[in-house]
Amino acid sequence: MATRQVYWNVEGHHWLYLFFIIALVIFGYGVYKRVKLWKLGQPENRWKDVWPGIIDVIVYTFAHKRILKDGYPGLMHASIFYGFLFLAFATAIITLQADFAVNIFHGWLYLFIKVTANLFGLAALIGIIVAAYRRYIQRPDRLDNKPDDAITLALLFAILLTGFVIQGARIAVLPDPWAGYAFVGQWMSIPLKALLNEAQLLSLHVFLWWLHLALAMAFIAYFPYSKLFHVLLGPLNQFFRNRGPIGIPEPIDFEDESLETFGKSQLLEFSWKTLFNTDVCLRCGRCQDNCPAYLSGKHLNPKRIIQDMRVLMEETGVALQSQNKVLAQAAGQEAAAASESEETEEWTGRALIGEVIPEDDLWACTTCRSCEQQCPVFVEHVDKTIDMRRNLVLMETRFPSEAQLAFRNMENNGNPWGIGWSTRADFLTGLGVKTYEEDPTAEYLYWPGCSGSFDARNQKVSAALVKLMQAAGVHFAILGNEEKCCGDSARKLGNEYLFYSLATENIEVMKGYGVKKIITQCPHCYNFLKNEYPQLGGNFEVIHHTVFLLDLVKSGRLKLSNADRKTVTYHDSCYLGRYNEIYDQPRELLKAVGLDLKEMAHTGEKSFCCGAGGGRMWLEENEGQRINEMRTDEAIAVKPDYVGTACPFCLTMIADGIAAREVGEQMKALDVAEILEKAL
Amino acid sequence: MAKGIFIIVEQRNLQIRKVSLELLSQGRKIADETGEPLVAVVLGQGIEELAPTVTASGADKVILIDDEKLAEYTTGAYTSVLNKLIRKEEPQAVLLGNTAIGKDLAPRLAQRLGVGLASDCTGMETDPNSFLTFKRPIYAGKAFAHLTSNVRPIMATIRPNTFPVVAPDAARTAEVVKEVAEIDASDLVAILKEVAIAASNRPELTEANIIVSGGRGMKGPENYGILEDLADVVGAAVGASRAAVDSGWKEHKFQVGQTGKTVAPTLYIACGISGAIQHLAGMGSSKFIVAINKDPEANIFNVADYGIVGDLFEVVPLLTAEFKKLVNE
Amino acid sequence: MNIVVFIKQTFDTEAKIVLDGNGKIDANGVNLIINPYDEFAIEEGIRLKEKFGGEVTVVSMGGARAQEAVRTALAMGIDKGVLVSDPALEDADEYAKAQILTKAIAQIPYDIILVGRIAIDDGASQIAVRLAEALSIPSISSVLKLEVAGTQATATREIDGGTELIEVSLPAVITAQKGLNEPRYPSVAGIMKAKKKPLKTLTLADLGLSAGDLSPKMNVNEFSLPTPRQGGRKIAGDAAQAANELAKLLREEAKVL
Repeated sequence: MATRQVYWNVEGHHWLYLFFIIALVIFGYGVYKRVKLWKLGQPENRWKDVWPGIIDVIVYTFAHKRILKDGYPGLMHASIFYGFLFLAFATAIITLQADFAVNIFHGWLYLFIKVTANLFGLAALIGIIVAAYRRYIQRPDRLDNKPDDAITLALLFAILLTGFVIQGARIAVLPDPWAGYAFVGQWMSIPLKALLNEAQLLSLHVFLWWLHLALAMAFIAYFPYSKLFHVLLGPLNQFFRNRGPIGIPEPIDFEDESLETFGKSQLLEFSWKTLFNTDVCLRCGRCQDNCPAYLSGKHLNPKRIIQDMRVLMEETGVALQSQNKVLAQAAGQEAAAASESEETEEWTGRALIGEVIPEDDLWACTTCRSCEQQCPVFVEHVDKTIDMRRNLVLMETRFPSEAQLAFRNMENNGNPWGIGWSTRADFLTGLGVKTYEEDPTAEYLYWPGCSGSFDARNQKVSAALVKLMQAAGVHFAILGNEEKCCGDSARKLGNEYLFYSLATENIEVMKGYGVKKIITQCPHCYNFLKNEYPQLGGNFEVIHHTVFLLDLVKSGRLKLSNADRKTVTYHDSCYLGRYNEIYDQPRELLKAVGLDLKEMAHTGEKSFCCGAGGGRMWLEENEGQRINEMRTDEAIAVKPDYVGTACPFCLTMIADGIAAREVGEQMKALDVAEILEKAL
Repeated sequence: MAKGIFIIVEQRNLQIRKVSLELLSQGRKIADETGEPLVAVVLGQGIEELAPTVTASGADKVILIDDEKLAEYTTGAYTSVLNKLIRKEEPQAVLLGNTAIGKDLAPRLAQRLGVGLASDCTGMETDPNSFLTFKRPIYAGKAFAHLTSNVRPIMATIRPNTFPVVAPDAARTAEVVKEVAEIDASDLVAILKEVAIAASNRPELTEANIIVSGGRGMKGPENYGILEDLADVVGAAVGASRAAVDSGWKEHKFQVGQTGKTVAPTLYIACGISGAIQHLAGMGSSKFIVAINKDPEANIFNVADYGIVGDLFEVVPLLTAEFKKLVNE
Repeated sequence: MNIVVFIKQTFDTEAKIVLDGNGKIDANGVNLIINPYDEFAIEEGIRLKEKFGGEVTVVSMGGARAQEAVRTALAMGIDKGVLVSDPALEDADEYAKAQILTKAIAQIPYDIILVGRIAIDDGASQIAVRLAEALSIPSISSVLKLEVAGTQATATREIDGGTELIEVSLPAVITAQKGLNEPRYPSVAGIMKAKKKPLKTLTLADLGLSAGDLSPKMNVNEFSLPTPRQGGRKIAGDAAQAANELAKLLREEAKVL
């Protein structure tokens, strides 16, 4: 029967349990120290979605869903991950066999473990070598190197290598009829046998066995003090992920008179989950690699923000500890224990906003969420930025002056351009569209948004959509002059107060008319009406115009010709794609009219922001390249006739980019609705 | 019995400002209609040489108040002098240009005299019942108010470029009177420390009859040369839209628009300007608007009297050549 | 230092102007804002207080809705507000309003009075200077930069084509021109605090005035609306042809060249 003697040639292997306990204690202490740091943050309940959490861990950890989206490092990581996972399984079996008298390590299980341990171990070893090669030879921009990286790689490499050499040494001495299953060990044994005699092999074997053990114990002890901690924290963070409206912090209840601060300026005002976030991040850099601000030369770097917050968290921990020490010395143990549970005093260390994170970084973010989308461990960056913007706007009133104009305009006239509110309905009523006041029985509320109502270029999109809906016999009406800005620009820039007043007014008007279903052409309005208005009591069925139009086409209510043989490339809007996972419907529409669809370099989940999100449409771009021009360059590379968009901001930004690059003769930016209208 | 229409003539460095000539021209018409004498009041130092110009522009009488304390305008001195003069002479009406000086002097003087003031008027006509009636824009020109007064003197400031300047008549004669400046020491409270006027041979933006203005379509500061060439052929001022100023191509003092200067020239030529509402707010009351823009859908074409859809870099130099031909005819 | 800021609540710049049945400007449904030039005055007042200590009071005249304007000023950082509200205000001209303000300010100690240089609704820019005259104190209008030292104020004033530097002893009236400062955005904390700051409302009777005292010197007889501007024509042809045609039209049709 296939088996081998466990712990052959090793005396006193039970000592390993002592070392194991020591390692565990060090491990435990490390975890305790970190947990203590995280608990400095505010309470937040992230434990409630148990089953979705477990499913997320299965999908994102065990099935490596996001990790594999980046092929090269993804496969590399998978081989290390599955390698070690399997080796851990193998070790567990051996432990059961050796010290728990569970007699299973024989027969097919033995052979299975022999072969897979070698296979996965080899994969892991190759993975580590590739990782080291990538990090130290290829040196991609997104990786920064710290001693921890080298130590971890060296440690894992050493553990794997010693493992194989041990196996090789044993095979070199002991006849093993099933050695072929341990093919790596067998290959190892050949040079070993050639170079060393039996006595030497035995000594080597014993030495390496204890070394391997020491390294493994070191691994366990080092675990919470190093990036290895992500092995535990990553899945936990996937479990804890935000399942509510994404990219936005909690709403503020302005009716609450007891509130003294709005937004967050101190690290400890954030919840424990934020602090936890900073430890989960292992500097893989995928966020940085996909951040439009970073790639266009702005100082903002999402990886750095999270890491800098981590350093601040540690500084805070140290400062509090010494504070408590001082208090303990001054007033005895009791007082110290009492003060540990009190609120921290005024923080005199580095300021979170300004010193740790420059204010410009906070404003440079377009809230595109590519950072969050690419992050394999689900670090959440964007809502922190908005929370800090809230502090700057609502408390400090320190923000780009262009934003003040946009705020004033929204306050006075319900749109960021400040065009007279009483002219909002003019364009659409000019097309014959009725308001809800005139036609209260309309089935759908058509929400053109500020762009669709006021902006000359986007009015054409509204006109196209109206024509399509009329052709399909859709019964719709608009709110007309009673419609106000959805509040996206206000909220994303941190002006929660202005958002609150705009949103509550809009909700009241819509409820007053009994609105149930809303069609909108703007993904920002779509995102707000659908995902964020419920926070304030507004619950409506919201449909984006591309989804709606596709339905009309599929059901035959809208007949389009498919004769257009031009080439089109579709630009995924951040708020439609990453925020709401609508990627396919606009593409299907474009194909339905016969267009040849080509994709840009960054597409779908990795779509490159046009630069206007996060209220940046209203701000000046002063540093580096213009984000919209970079995106236009990607479009130009594909040589399309049209660039298809489904968002008024994207349309404006790409049209601007086309003008800046002077390729207006070769290509045009068009909304999907406009393209469809041509095919009516 | 109140007599005379007083025009407070504004001069700087012994140059009479164009708006004063406009007022004298229109004042002459009113004087002829009503039979009231037209009196020009000039304050300053060494201003005697200005009397012939003022006479040729239509004054029946010229009152010169020459004093070193009046060499540069100060609110206190000018108010003091004019208050005493007007109380002595009792004119029917006192008119000033709505310039920086007019805006500062007129209200103070009106309050001291205890009378009303119609400011920034764009229309003035005789009226059988109240001698003069005024029209002035309110709400940035979105409406007009029509005013009269029963109190004497009637005071008003008139917006530059409202009335045409008639050709001077050198044959005209007028009575020239010198008055002593009576200034209360208590009025000399403000000390004028320095005056800084930017040198320019082009007319001031708010005074210019013709303005050539460039916007985002200019693509850069170095390209304003073609606009300046066009402006210089017809003696126009050069302006800019907010987009150009924000991009640093032109200083803010050239900005025309809601957050810049409001202008009302006879002719406004907008080059590479889209015509956003905020820009229109600053030049919408121009008499004639010409637009040159590559984009046929640009909003400016909705308010332009004449529009050319084309590349301004092509059109403007050609237009300069055409204007040169006309000017030389 | 005692600082007084005078503000006016006006129609929003985008408001559509229509005449009501009586031929008066219709204020129904119109969005009201603080006169933008008065915001520079508010900001300067708060900055002076931040620099020299003391108190800033905001004074305004208007109807019930004007309270919003005063509260916004308080939210920006002004300490107390005074609102003169009376139906007789509607027909008051600039002379009368200056008289009213003189009385309203009589109870408030002032070292400096700050006002916007012009109100965007009537565009008359008279009241601040009239007030200075009525109080027999100097005024400097259209100020781009203000420096205060002790009892002296030095102001850079905008004139046609340039600037002047003027020195004056306080108390004085300063009217603010665009560019004097960047008005701050009221913080939410400021908005909450403003609800509790003192706002006194006064009628003409409280000031010892009656409607008769305010007979206007200048009468507004009627309001009219301008004729809407029509979009004109686009001149056809290539650049050379169009330029030629335009020059011809400007000379012969528009007669401007």
